[in-house]
Amino acid sequence: MAEEYAIEVKNLKIQYRCMNKISIRKSLFKLKKNNVEIYEAVKGITFNVIKGQILGVVGKNGSGKSTLLRALAGIFSPDEGTIDMHDHTVSLLSIGVGFQKKLTGRENIYLSGLLLGFSEEFINSKIDEIIKFSELGKFIDKPVKTYSSGMYSKLAFSITAILETDIMLIDEVLSVGDAKFKKKSYKKMKQLIQKEDRTVIIVSHSTETLKNLCDSILWIHDGEIRMQGPTEEVLPEYCKFME
Amino acid sequence: MVKRFWNDLKKYFNYVFVSAKSELKSEVANSHLSWLWWILDPLLFMLVYTFISSIVFSQKIQYFPIFVFIGLSCWQFFEKTVKQSVKIVSANSHIVTKVYLPKYILILVKIMSNGFKMIVSFSLVVIMMLIYRVQLSFSILYTIPLLLILLVITFACSTVMLHFGVYVEDLSNVINVLLRLLFYMSGIFYTIKNRLPEPYVTILLKCNPVALIIDGMRECMLYCNAPDYKILSLWLIVGFVVSAIGVRTIYKNENSYVKVV
Repeated sequence: MAEEYAIEVKNLKIQYRCMNKISIRKSLFKLKKNNVEIYEAVKGITFNVIKGQILGVVGKNGSGKSTLLRALAGIFSPDEGTIDMHDHTVSLLSIGVGFQKKLTGRENIYLSGLLLGFSEEFINSKIDEIIKFSELGKFIDKPVKTYSSGMYSKLAFSITAILETDIMLIDEVLSVGDAKFKKKSYKKMKQLIQKEDRTVIIVSHSTETLKNLCDSILWIHDGEIRMQGPTEEVLPEYCKFME
Repeated sequence: MVKRFWNDLKKYFNYVFVSAKSELKSEVANSHLSWLWWILDPLLFMLVYTFISSIVFSQKIQYFPIFVFIGLSCWQFFEKTVKQSVKIVSANSHIVTKVYLPKYILILVKIMSNGFKMIVSFSLVVIMMLIYRVQLSFSILYTIPLLLILLVITFACSTVMLHFGVYVEDLSNVINVLLRLLFYMSGIFYTIKNRLPEPYVTILLKCNPVALIIDGMRECMLYCNAPDYKILSLWLIVGFVVSAIGVRTIYKNENSYVKVV
């Protein structure tokens, strides 16, 4: 096939070793216990995403979807298997995106942008667009801790939407803000997605959204792939299963 | 690994700079006296220690306020950075769980913001030296390598603290006590050489890098002497080695930090 892969995942396994925080008292009394519990959240997943494809990930709660996304974003390293992103820039958009609460919205835009690997000049050129899109108005120069939860998510969405990365990972954020902003962000999302070379992975429980946006669906069940294929095939099966 | 460290340093330097800047800014924005605190904080502490030492313990040290000030400035930089490093990963969980960054970058942010405060209080030292008409000599140039060694040692301690701080919940309590002990052993408001009998002088001055650096700073700023550069360079090497080990451990384990947080 001549198609170019944006993401190649081979036999990915991610384990949560229950390295719970230990306290010194506990470890003094129980020298040598070390019965490390291993919980495997992702159990050997292999899939490829073609460049420009929009992939939806579905599965019930706790089936490893968010873990998978975090691994793709490079926050976790795989315990086994490989993830090849082919040097694309990646951004993860999820609920309650990390802001420093004491800083203003504007400073947070800079910090997030720099963390995503953009230069200061680039952020400068985009910042007005971000502020406009986020509809925060005067609040942009107020500390983030004064924001309502809706404003918080709106800002987060705007940053990721306007500072465009090659690969976008979206974790359940398409229902952000009030009805008006929801419509707007949905439209923006569609517009972003339609760009030929952008690869998007969406995790969502809303089958409606997935049906409208995605080309294909990956169904994860208990850390394994249950089904994978075009949206029209997988989604009805998944709906049936969930009932 | 050195190459990776260097590349990451270059890549994230901007982030460190902007982050430290906005951290300082927000600190200022939330208090009434704003940036005056950067001056007031060391100044008031200096008054406290001057009172205790010269009135309660009736010590006689030449230029005592400056003497305390130099010690305090170095010490606060070291103490704050190390203390903050213990909880630094969980304190920044909002960043750590959303995007990858080498975790020691968070330490560098702290070093930069605390370092800025140290520079502010050292400029006060300079002003006081002018007021007291302290005799100056070229040995004052030794302050630059001394501060660099302090920086390396602080970074080294912080990387170790960062790593263990993730896994050990009550490390911060232990560290608080240890730091307090170290504070009294660093001769912030007394001269180790004059107040203590041997062999404690040698032990404290050679095995405690902070005391060594503070002593060196005073020697070259107030008394026109050169610091003990042999032992200092030894500590510099120790600092580099521990930093290298620390950074290596962080690289190796940083992905599992997120799972614990």
